[in-house]
Amino acid sequence: MSKHKIPEYNTSWSEEEQGRWGMVIDQDLCTGCQACVVACAMENNISFVGEEDVVYGRAMHWIRVERFWEGEYPEVKATDFQPVMCQQCGSAPCEPVCPVFASVHSQSEELNLQVYNRCVGTRYCANNCPYQVRVFNWRDWERPEPLNNQLNPTVTVRQRGVMEKCTFCVQRIHEAEDSAQSEGRELVDGEVQPACVQACPADAIVFGRIDDPESEVSKLTKGGRGVQLLEDLGTQPRVTYLKGG
Amino acid sequence: MAVSAKPLSHPQVEMHHDPRQYLMLDPRPRGEMNEMVMDSMLSISWKFWVAAGILGIIVLVCLFGAWGYMIFEGLGVAGTNRPAYWGIFLVNTVFWIGISHAGTFVSALLRVFKAEFRRPFTRAAELMTTFGLVQAGLSIFMHMGRVWLSYWMFPYPNQRGLWPNFHSPLMWDFLAINTYLLASTMYLFLPLIPDVAMARDRSTGWRKNLYRILSLGFRGTEGEWTHLRHAMNIFAFAILPVMFSVHTIVSWDFAVATRPGWSSTIFGPYFVIGALHSGIAAVAMVLIVIRAIMKNMKYFIRPEHFDALGKLMLIVSMAWAYFFFNDYMVQWYGGDKWTDQLLHFHEAGLLGWMWLGMLILNIAIPWLTLWNKKIRSNPWILFIVGLLINVGMWFERYIIIPISLTVNRMPFTWREYVPGIEVLLTIGTFAFFILLYMMATKLIPIVPVWEVQEGQMAHSLRRFGRETVISVSELE
Amino acid sequence: MTETTTLLAVFPDLEPAADGIEQLRSLGVADENMNVIAGIPVTEAMLGRPRQWSNVPRLAGGGAVTGFFIGLFLAVGTPNLYPILVGGQPLIPIPPSIVVVFEMTMLGMLIATFLGVFLDSYFPSYSPKEYVPEISDGKIAVLFNCPDKKQKEFVKAMTTLGAESVKPAEVQKL
Repeated sequence: MSKHKIPEYNTSWSEEEQGRWGMVIDQDLCTGCQACVVACAMENNISFVGEEDVVYGRAMHWIRVERFWEGEYPEVKATDFQPVMCQQCGSAPCEPVCPVFASVHSQSEELNLQVYNRCVGTRYCANNCPYQVRVFNWRDWERPEPLNNQLNPTVTVRQRGVMEKCTFCVQRIHEAEDSAQSEGRELVDGEVQPACVQACPADAIVFGRIDDPESEVSKLTKGGRGVQLLEDLGTQPRVTYLKGG
Repeated sequence: MAVSAKPLSHPQVEMHHDPRQYLMLDPRPRGEMNEMVMDSMLSISWKFWVAAGILGIIVLVCLFGAWGYMIFEGLGVAGTNRPAYWGIFLVNTVFWIGISHAGTFVSALLRVFKAEFRRPFTRAAELMTTFGLVQAGLSIFMHMGRVWLSYWMFPYPNQRGLWPNFHSPLMWDFLAINTYLLASTMYLFLPLIPDVAMARDRSTGWRKNLYRILSLGFRGTEGEWTHLRHAMNIFAFAILPVMFSVHTIVSWDFAVATRPGWSSTIFGPYFVIGALHSGIAAVAMVLIVIRAIMKNMKYFIRPEHFDALGKLMLIVSMAWAYFFFNDYMVQWYGGDKWTDQLLHFHEAGLLGWMWLGMLILNIAIPWLTLWNKKIRSNPWILFIVGLLINVGMWFERYIIIPISLTVNRMPFTWREYVPGIEVLLTIGTFAFFILLYMMATKLIPIVPVWEVQEGQMAHSLRRFGRETVISVSELE
Repeated sequence: MTETTTLLAVFPDLEPAADGIEQLRSLGVADENMNVIAGIPVTEAMLGRPRQWSNVPRLAGGGAVTGFFIGLFLAVGTPNLYPILVGGQPLIPIPPSIVVVFEMTMLGMLIATFLGVFLDSYFPSYSPKEYVPEISDGKIAVLFNCPDKKQKEFVKAMTTLGAESVKPAEVQKL
């Protein structure tokens, strides 16, 4: 196993270190339609947990659309919708706390991955996630016929007792990379679309390479309207929120 | 003018108290003490079996039954959710590890400092350590989502080629709790060898065989005693840093996390003191029950011991208050927005009564009662105070874990935690602890007779002028 | 070489036992031909016996060293066997390594101490040995080898010094 070589990894993360894949969410465009939530659930074989468990805080959605009120009732003003999924931190608090390396950093995609079959369910990663985007399989929820036919074969189905989270649809990234490679060309900007991006009717979510200064996502990130969630924690999130255009 | 002076106090010719109220100054022949201990161990009334039967049923149903159901169904039957991913299981883990600290504290720290009152109950306290750790371990396993794969945390060369992640505080925990469990079991066993040898010489039937095996062929030769003494000395000193490390590491599970309210540098000592707070109170409670129920124990465990333990409880309560205030003060003063929200939620949230209750039970009640020697020496009042302290310390852990998890940096996810099957499993661990302890009191001599005799040999009365005082010689 | 028997003298207390040992020595019994059995840890100094040698502290030290290296292997070695980088932290972070090494050192030391008692005392050994159960009642027994011819003389000497019984040691099943 010692021959298992991994690419060089820079442990001293700096502000400039952008990672590879990134996302931009324009809150001015988001209508809160929840299409991304549905698309994500379909793409990633997310369990339907039922009314009772959703109310109790056990919804499995990898992406949620947050909304708040400002002010005191009845003078309330709704704020912008805020879709939150895993921010794919460069310095992720969820990773070092896992005792069995189920929460790891992928070296090639610069993503934060969860190895479902390695998870023993200590749930420490979820506690340590400042964005609270990790979801746990509290039960083996039913998937009655014919819903089983809808399962996406490229994504693992998870067992009870396992933590899971958004992967930026890593299966789609690989698929696109593979087809680009077989056609002997480079990936084009916008070729990879996670399910939420694909489903967004307002085009509020943009995905791409943030290490490529020419990509749309890079331009938007650096466009001056960008903020990152809980930036002060130094987690190096890869998702930028645009506001106040 | 003649010099006249008022005496500062009346000259005392005799001691105020009868020295025989102290166990160490009320020696009995060793043979008689052996008989007393054997008698208390061997006399098992029907009440014992009824209690053991009831506890056994509770353990089967509430612990193993409910746990089996939970493993089969998934953790959904418990109350954990997002954001309270950790619930009562870890509250119980921290609580039981806390209980286990008292055993080591009594038998190692008091041994190192040669506090003589420890002698009759070092074993009773050590048993609490071992059985408390069993409950803590079980609670950790209950907490895991896929407990059947828990061996993946064990560092051994495997076909997966993967080693555990030593960055994780849970791995530190795993190593520390294992070290502590093994060390405290060995430390329980070493001073037990001479006592089971004594029991071997005085029993028949299956017990004879059991004690023969346990006593390993111990005769009490000079060599055996020398090796034993060396080993116990090493253990007494070495197990203390292990004990401190265990609860410090448990506190790091919280303190190293990026969460408001958890990320506190004082958590290490705060947790250690908290552990001693509940642990010493629990030792006192167990001793009171043993003394009331078991035969001949009124000779070995006396008001003087409750007096000493009561003093310890009071001091530890003060120390706990100091650390609590330290933690609270700095977090509050820091003024971090999320921490402020959390502190406000602690005090005035849904379970604000628990926060207030914690302060009353952990600080007000011990401070108001334990300063008085009469109260300290009264077993049943001390029992109630001890019980209240333990409830208070359980509250403290409940506030630190599920209540603090309710408030995080993403307000959209804030949600209340309502315990589910955890309640049954909590009852189960308590019943299991009591059951194990009951069984142990009937299987091994609960009083280390040789240690008591050694102490009695070391104590004498000495006259200084007109006053008779207790004098202790160092035999070791 | 003369034929010898092992005699066992049971004394009620420390003083007579110490006297008895002194007397035995003057009667020509070497220290290594005597042994004391007691129900409490009577120190060698109390009975005027030579200091016992114990390997337990050395074994504990050896265990600590072994544990230290096992801890070092876990903390520093295993991450290199299958390198996985997490959380932007170095592959081998120093503070957690200290925790791991500390715990394993203590574990190694304490296990070695425990096993040291077994090794040094030849535990467990269930073979029959010379023993009197009375010692756990606080009596102190002295085992010694004496030449067959002088047996009477020894018995008398011990009895006058306060021995409750002096008789050939019985090998009994423990």
